[in-house]
Formats: sequence, C-alpha cells, structure tokens
Amino acid sequence: MMRCLLALWEKEWLVLSRDVHGLAVLFLMPAVFIVVMSLALSDAFKDDAARQTEFAVLAVDDAPLARRFAQGLSGDGFRESSAPASEAEARQGVRSGRPSLVLVLPRGLGRALAAPAGGPAPALTLLADPALPSLLLATFQQRALGAALEQRVSTLLEQAGAGLPELKRAALNVEVLGQSRAQRPSSVQQNVPAWLIFGMFFVVLPIASLFIVERRDGTLARLVAQQVPFPLLLLGKLAPFFVVNLVQAALMLLAGRILVPWFGGETLALPERWDLLAAVAASTSLAAIAWGLLVAVCARTLEQATVIGGVGNILAAAIGGIMVPRFVMPQAMQTLSDFSPMAWALDGFHAVLLREGTAATITGPCAKLLALAAALLALALLVHSRRRVLHSAQ
Amino acid sequence: MGTLSLEGLSFRYPGRAEAVLDGVTLDIPAGGIFGLLGPNGAGKTTLIAVITGQVRGATGRICLGGEPFERVRRAQPRCLGLVPQEYAFYPMLSCRENLRFFGAVQGLAGDELRRRIAAVAAFARIEAVLARRAGQLSGGLKRRLNLAIGLLAEPQLLLLDEPTVGVDPQSRAFLLESIRSLAAEGRTIVYTSHYMEEVQAICDRVAIVDRGRVLVTGALSELLQDASGLLTLRLRSPLPQSLADAWRARHALLDDGEARYRLQLRAADEIAAILAAAHSAGCEPLAIAYGRRDLEQLFMQLTDRSLRD
Repeated sequence: MMRCLLALWEKEWLVLSRDVHGLAVLFLMPAVFIVVMSLALSDAFKDDAARQTEFAVLAVDDAPLARRFAQGLSGDGFRESSAPASEAEARQGVRSGRPSLVLVLPRGLGRALAAPAGGPAPALTLLADPALPSLLLATFQQRALGAALEQRVSTLLEQAGAGLPELKRAALNVEVLGQSRAQRPSSVQQNVPAWLIFGMFFVVLPIASLFIVERRDGTLARLVAQQVPFPLLLLGKLAPFFVVNLVQAALMLLAGRILVPWFGGETLALPERWDLLAAVAASTSLAAIAWGLLVAVCARTLEQATVIGGVGNILAAAIGGIMVPRFVMPQAMQTLSDFSPMAWALDGFHAVLLREGTAATITGPCAKLLALAAALLALALLVHSRRRVLHSAQ
Repeated sequence: MGTLSLEGLSFRYPGRAEAVLDGVTLDIPAGGIFGLLGPNGAGKTTLIAVITGQVRGATGRICLGGEPFERVRRAQPRCLGLVPQEYAFYPMLSCRENLRFFGAVQGLAGDELRRRIAAVAAFARIEAVLARRAGQLSGGLKRRLNLAIGLLAEPQLLLLDEPTVGVDPQSRAFLLESIRSLAAEGRTIVYTSHYMEEVQAICDRVAIVDRGRVLVTGALSELLQDASGLLTLRLRSPLPQSLADAWRARHALLDDGEARYRLQLRAADEIAAILAAAHSAGCEPLAIAYGRRDLEQLFMQLTDRSLRD
C-alpha cells in the first residue's frame, strides 16, 4: 500500500513539475497580486503623514482668525493648502479637487466669537469635493465645529485672564493592540495573507484538471483495473499539493519581504511564532485541496472544473475579505463573509501576522478549516461511491 | 487459470432507457485469443469495463475457473491486465517513468520492477524510446507503450480493447504478432476490434454482440463454415449482360458491384463450369469462396447493415 502511495506521489510531482501553466497559476498569479495590490493600496494603510486631505480656510475680513482655524484643523490626515483669493476661486478649486475642502468664514465671525454675551453666530460654509469619502467629510465637519468652539472658548478665557490647556494628541494616547512594533499594519501586511490564501485555493484547478484528464485518457480506468483503491488515489494527490501549498506560502511571504519593497512598497514584518503560521497555512491547504478533490470527482469536463473551481474561488474571495476588506462591507455582507473558508483562513493569518496571536487565537479558524476539509473529503468519497460509471465506457 | 464465465450480465447506464448489456452469457476458455466483435455502441467496451470493475451495479455473475472473479482478483491482484483503447498513460512522463509508475502501483519494486520494465520494453520494442516523453511518440509507438504497460505484472488474463486503432500496417502487423505470441505462452486474451481481418487472423474463438446481446459465439472455424451453397466470385472485369442474365436465372445471381458476384449453387461440382464460363467471357476470376464465409459477411449478416451511433 505504501509503495503504491509513494508511486502516486512521485507521479503527481513529475506531472505537476512539467505543467508550466499550472505552476504559473499557482506561483506567479498570487505573487503578482501581492505586489500589485500591496502597492495599489499602500496609501490606504499608511500613517497620516503620508496620506493627507488638503483643505483651505477663507476668511473674508479676518486673516488672523483664518490662521487660527487652519492651525486647529491641521493634522490627523488634513493638511492646509494656500487659501484661495475669493469664494468663487475656492468653488472653482474644490470642483477640481484642489483642495478637497474649503472652509469659508463669514464676515463678522471674529466679533461674534469674541462677544461676551452669547448669541447666534453667522454660519460657516464648507465647500467639499464630491469625490471626497463621506467619512472624511463628516470628520472635517466635526473638526470645523470643534475649531469654532475652541476659538470661542479661548477668546472668553483670554478675556478672563486664563489660558486653554493643550489638548489634542497629547491628551489622547492611541494604542493599536498587538502591535509591539509600534506601527500600524501596512498594506503588504494586509495583502500578503489575503492573496496567499487566494493562491492556495487555486490548487483546485490543477487537481481537478489532472484528475479529469486521467479519467478522460483511460489512466484512471487502468488504475481501477489494477485495483488501486480510490481513497488511495485521493491521498496520492493530497500530499504533493500540500507541499505545493506550503512552498506557495513560503514564496509569497518572501515576495512580501523582498519583491514588494523592491518595487517601492513596505516590507512584510514576519511573526515570531512560525509554528502558528505553519499551522494556519497547513489548515488552509487541507481545506483547499479537499475542495479541489471534490470538484475533481464531481466535474465531468475540464470546462466544468474550471467554472466550478474558478468561480467558486472568486466568490469565496469576494465575500471572504480577500478582494475587499471585510471592515468596509455592510453588516449583512460581513455576516455572509463568516461562511467563506477564505475568511476563516484570513482570520487565522491575521491573528498571527497582525495581532501576534497565540495558539488559542488560531484554534477557531484552524478548526473550521480542518472540519471543512474533512467534510469535503467525505463528500468526495460519497459522490464516488454512489457513481456507477467510474470511467466513460461507451 | 480456468475458464472466464460471464453469466447473464446486464447493465444500464444511469438515465438511459435501454440496457447496454442485456443478459450477456459467455464462456471464454483459458489460453488462446477470444475475439469480441460488435458495431459501435454494441456494449463491448462496457463489457470489459464490467469485468475490470470500472462499472458498478451490473447484475449477473463473473467467475474464473468456477470461483467468483472478485475473490480471484483479491487473491491474485495481478491476474488481470487491461489495455484500454485510449492511450492510457501520462503524456508528460517519459516511457520509463510511465512503466515505473504503473509497475509500482501494482506492487513491483526494485530488481523485479527493473526486470519487468526491461522485459516489456523489449517485447514491445520500445527500448530505444524509454527516455522520451510518451506524448511525443508516434501513434504506433504509443500503442506499443500502451500494450507494454498492460503486460508489466504478467497478467494471465489480458483484456485488449481495440489495441491497433490508428496505427500503420507495419505496427499493426507487429502488434498482432506480439499478441499471438502472448497467447502462445498460455495467456487468455480477450480482444475487441472493428477490424474483421485482424480478428479472423488471430482469434481462436469469437463472440459477436449487438445491442447488449450475444448474437453468436463459438470457434471461429465453425462459425465461418457455410453450407448454404453460396459461391462468392470476384472477377477482373464485369460479366457481359448475356452471361449475367443466364446466371441470374439459373443461380440467383447477385451483383455486389465492382465485378463481385454471389451465386447460389446446388452442388459444388457446378463451380468448374462457372469458372470456365467466366473465363470464356473474358472475365478472369481473381478470387473465389465456397463453403466458407469470411467474418465480415457473418458480422454484417447478424448485425444488419443499418448505421449505428
């Protein structure tokens, strides 16, 4: 039995190593995705210093007030640009997105803010670029109201002979949990696991296509005639593709470590717990291979396998947070994504790569992936056992 | 090895109304070549698939030497060899890698595996191409590799499903000679083919199947005997009208075209007069058959001439 299994493994290796297109899908595609997506999304994950929304403050009659407003509004992702000469010029500029925001201070605002008795102050106008995300607009709105309040309070305190304590960043320490490196997760840190999982699940195509070609060419008939047990045939595919998946994982981590920085992106920070990373990769691999074996058993043609396997993977990636991060999805989609095995795998990889997780934190995702692998394998065996014609013999 | 007996084998593909095998009963004696003939879709390949276990759910019994075939196979896993009609090997592997793989999955290893690879390569005369990728071989070499793989474990029962399809006359002659030599060693060979002359040339016994049923089975020499008094004649040129009319009246002449004729004789001694008459009319006889029909005639007679598939 073991001799037969070794022969099956050796054959699978030889066949796979000579399938250039299959290897390209398995290794090149995820590497390209990792580089491209890490670079494309690098700004989205960078610190505020690197990603800024420009704004200007236009005061018709009070330049010092505009100066103080601008100081209050700067920072946390907002950078002041030169003020337009007039409101018309400001509107023109905002239409073309330069700057994205202009806060127009109305005539008499300085006097209203300094008046000891409270009363209705003239309204501020905020001109906003329509392409600006609504979240940024809302944030700036709050900052503008905050700046106005600050002006009012500081003026009143000055009149009373007191000063305003320095608040802002100094008064609020932000701590990103699980990041001992004192930096926020970079784009490459987010993208490497995502596209690595996507690449690992693409073993479904070579597994299914090799199996279907074996069925079509009569080699499967020959092996059945030679009484090679079907579970052994499946096991013969499992081990080589498991190794392929682990090599994929290692190479994709290297791509994040070497290739992405070489193209100008950030360098992937590797975890200290390699054993946990290996456990998540192994669980992901087993789920991916079992999915491939089920497609191989069920699909009758290469076209069917490509459609079922390929489209299935893309759907799982789309709802699983591979293509679009889960946190930007609406609640219903986030709930749906809990059913995607790629989301489970991503949770596991994020636990290790982003959150410095422990064995306990990866147990959940790994258990789900392993349970899925067992279920898919059992289903593949069940489908095979119920099939009356193992090889088209007409 | 005893007789391979198939008793009342029936099988219907899922979703099909008609049975592809409908109570097939055959005895295939040990040793010799047994020809399995039939039009496309007759059920030959399905019958082989049932014997090898590729198709499940067939009813009936298969026995070898009186023992249930499954039990025999469990006890002697290498007793059965299959050479499918497809090129059932891996085109991206070399011939040697293919032979090593198919030998190893049958439990061959070490010196025994090396010895068997050398033996079957020599038998199929593929030693010179062992290092070449199987997919790069010519059609004839592919057929020889296909046969060689089937012989690795020295099976006593060998099922050959159209083993000469798509090869040139030289390769066909070589393959037929090789198959004949395998039978001479005492193996039982079940041979399916569409080529009647091949079957007639190498098979000892045949069965003609159609629509899942055995139409006739027996020793080839017996099946080809013809006591109907039919004379088949092929001439160098067509008969003149007058002679054709005379033979039509006297011998129920049938014109098969291209100077081929069939005549009904009352006795064999009429042959001499017929040949003389043809010769006198300037139609030199090229071939004559009497008292024996060829396999194609029998096949067409039993399976009728309607197209299949």
